[in-house]
Amino acid sequence: MTQGTDAVELRGIGKSFPGVIANHDVDLTIRPGTVHALIGENGAGKSTLMKILYGVQRPDEGTIRINGEDVVLKSPTDAIEHGIGMVFQHFMLADNLTVLENLVLGAEKLHGIGDDARAEISRISDRFGFGLKPDELVEKLGVADRQRLEIAKVLYRGAKIIILDEPTAVLVPQEVDSLFANLRELRDAGNSILFISHKLDEVLAIADDITVMRRGTTVGSADPKTATKRQLAELMVGSELPSPETGESTVTDTVELTLSDVTLTDEFGRNLLSDISLSIRRGEVLGIAGVEGNGQSELVEMIMGMRIPSSGHITLGSEDVTHWHTRRLREAGIGYIPEDRQRHGLLLDAPLWENRMLGHQTEAPNAKGPWINRAGARKDTQRIMTEYDVRAPSIDTPSRALSGGNQQKLIVGREMSGDPSLLIASHPTRGVDVGAQAAIWDQIKKARRAGLAVLLVSADLDELIGLSDTIQVILRGRFVGTFEPSSVTPQDLGAAMTGGEAA
Amino acid sequence: MKGLNLRSIGLSLLAPVIAIVVSVLVTSLVIAAVGSSPGDFWSAMFSNPLPRLRVNIVNQTAIIYIAAVAAAIGFRMNLFNIGLEGQYTLASYAAAAFAGGAYLSGFANVLVSILIAIAVGAAWAGIAGVLKTTRGVSEVISTIMLNSIAIFLVGYLLNRYGVHEGNSVHTTRLADGSTLTGFTPYLPRDGQIWALSVLAVIVGIGFWVLLNKTHFGFDLRASGMSSTAAVASGINPNRMIITAMMLSGGVAGLIWLPALFGGATSYGTSFQSGLGFLGISVALLGRNRPLGMLFGAVLFAFLNSQSNTLTFSTDISPSIVQITEGVAVLAVVVAFEVVRRWRARLEQRVVGREHAVATEVTA
Ligand SMILES: Nc1ncnc2c1ncn2[C@@H]1O[C@H](COP(=O)(O)OP(=O)(O)OP(=O)(O)O)[C@@H](O)[C@H]1O
Ligand SMILES: [Mg+2]
Repeated sequence: MTQGTDAVELRGIGKSFPGVIANHDVDLTIRPGTVHALIGENGAGKSTLMKILYGVQRPDEGTIRINGEDVVLKSPTDAIEHGIGMVFQHFMLADNLTVLENLVLGAEKLHGIGDDARAEISRISDRFGFGLKPDELVEKLGVADRQRLEIAKVLYRGAKIIILDEPTAVLVPQEVDSLFANLRELRDAGNSILFISHKLDEVLAIADDITVMRRGTTVGSADPKTATKRQLAELMVGSELPSPETGESTVTDTVELTLSDVTLTDEFGRNLLSDISLSIRRGEVLGIAGVEGNGQSELVEMIMGMRIPSSGHITLGSEDVTHWHTRRLREAGIGYIPEDRQRHGLLLDAPLWENRMLGHQTEAPNAKGPWINRAGARKDTQRIMTEYDVRAPSIDTPSRALSGGNQQKLIVGREMSGDPSLLIASHPTRGVDVGAQAAIWDQIKKARRAGLAVLLVSADLDELIGLSDTIQVILRGRFVGTFEPSSVTPQDLGAAMTGGEAA
Repeated sequence: MKGLNLRSIGLSLLAPVIAIVVSVLVTSLVIAAVGSSPGDFWSAMFSNPLPRLRVNIVNQTAIIYIAAVAAAIGFRMNLFNIGLEGQYTLASYAAAAFAGGAYLSGFANVLVSILIAIAVGAAWAGIAGVLKTTRGVSEVISTIMLNSIAIFLVGYLLNRYGVHEGNSVHTTRLADGSTLTGFTPYLPRDGQIWALSVLAVIVGIGFWVLLNKTHFGFDLRASGMSSTAAVASGINPNRMIITAMMLSGGVAGLIWLPALFGGATSYGTSFQSGLGFLGISVALLGRNRPLGMLFGAVLFAFLNSQSNTLTFSTDISPSIVQITEGVAVLAVVVAFEVVRRWRARLEQRVVGREHAVATEVTA
């Protein structure tokens, strides 16, 4: 095979940020018509490399060759002209526009905004089995549909090389399966797909080629036909594969959190949550399984005092906290890992040590009375960075400069600090690598033995089954089934989550 | 490490310097375009100020600085309190009317008047805060309207209850015991540095301490950086808006008090209007930072004061300095962004070079 036929050839790519070398001497070759997986530990430089390929960032050195032609990508517009499209982990859709409007937005020149555009959308949707309805409002779509829409957007703009940054992190297994079906269709139609994932099963299931990055450079490749998860993990982080085994039960008799018949309505009087009852005892992990968008976010925000229930009661320890505000709840000892780390968990432009204070700015070691304890906060940030392996140049680095997984580790470390009595965790290991995932699971298990009560919302069913003492399935704002983790399979859970059957 | 620090200090001064150079150039061009001599202009502007003007510059710096801090309190959490003008007009009138009434004597009179000014300014700004949190009215719109209402209201009250003297009207003059003797650095005819200029120092230090040393200040900054993260961290956004608005208005209430107790002695023709808008400009110029705003306040006070000499020595209108000031504010906003990007690129190159050296060593 001649070299010129490769879809993408990156040679000697280097990129530095203040205090960090994000990429150096990166070589990557993507064959046309393949699915290429890029794996590596948090902060290895995967997202940076993808952003370089999509023209969001300029490399300091190295060459990019697309379909045998040397190119300089100054902006995403250049990248799109060369047939490269990217779906970011955080979707960029306008909620109050329709599917059609979102698709043509900014690409009106291609097929206009009328019937031609509509025809093109139907063609793409039918060809790859996306099932898009052009006139549906985007705010009505679930995550999986949004993702398909993002991919359709990229195809609509004529992309032949499609980059997906952690596309499966927000999906439950059935959705992952159908995404993969879509990706195979795309591949068979001659497109090249480059995707990043921390989930090694998925990588082995879909990829034709695998490239591993470590500490800013490509360290090797693996053949998905012969490689095992263990081998991949060792290539990535040099550590053992984690398994979220709970071991013996640590559930006590003391109830920490109770919700009784709680209903939450939106401003139009529609029920977001209906008659939810649950109780979590000290030392217990209650898992919530569900397809994203079925009320998990609302449940969490309600417990955290960011939404006030329209009826029912919430009790923490022995106090009625139904109308308590977030700060009071946090001061009472609740740790909170929000689902959207960038919007709810971080001040992106503030240094890490100030991010350590966020959400705990009135508590030790960050404050003394009304005063900030700068020294205390800085010292504790250092501790969190060591204990949770947060990799960053210093505690004065702005949190924006951290890789996704390192941002997540900082938040988990912060919320586990100060011995919380209750942890409300939404996707606590979303976006972290296998090694860090194991470490976070260990920390949760350790705290649980010491009496921590946990509400765990996760799209990762292995994580739910491995950590939980009980699992509740949520569907359209209601609990529709209770499962024993010891006897349930991911398949059972999956069926209940999509309304297949309730136990 | 030390070299790096020196360089980063140098870099942070770069943007203001660029801004000043640009505004000097633009002003010169404008003056040349209307057929006057830029040389005359700048030599008049940068002539060594007379003692009288020096005193004036210090006094103006103080009150402009208070106004800037008042604006910055709101800006730090993305609240645009455009209503400083109305807040300090109303507060100044209330304080002058109370102090002139001589219900208390001496220092107690001054102290209570200060508290009244704070309370009136805070209450007037609080209206905009309440409108925003309960009715969703943008504070920009409501404070602009409240400005007009305040100015109208003060005009009415003054006319009704004030002392009419010829064509002019003012509040009852302060009793001698209630004016504060300031500091006279030169001859008595050159004037005094107002005693209450010290309020500017207190307000400046207070602002710095509040922002950087208290968790309320942290809440304020967090709300400005990310409203969603602020809510999730337990900050009550409504309470925060009202508190910040009232704090900003309360400080605005102080703006004119140094002048009132330093020599104006009554609210009337001696009232200096426009300080609210000047404060907004200086807050922008100083990037809402305590020290940056001090620099901006000195600059504006200097330009305004020196522009008075233009009428004597040149044919150029003093209002030309408003162009200089406006361009400086605009240029500083642009220059900061340019310098920030340039600096990031520079640092990246440094890291890249260090890496190259490191690999050579290991290789
Ligand atoms: N804008 C930026 N400014 C400064 N440093 C950055 C920036 N973006 C990334 N970095 C740094 O570059 C390195 C690589 O980050 P990158 O986001 O590419 O990692 P990643 O492999 O995608 O990790 P993750 O799996 O955690 O998402 C990290 O050390 C990160 O801190
Ligand atoms: Mg990443």
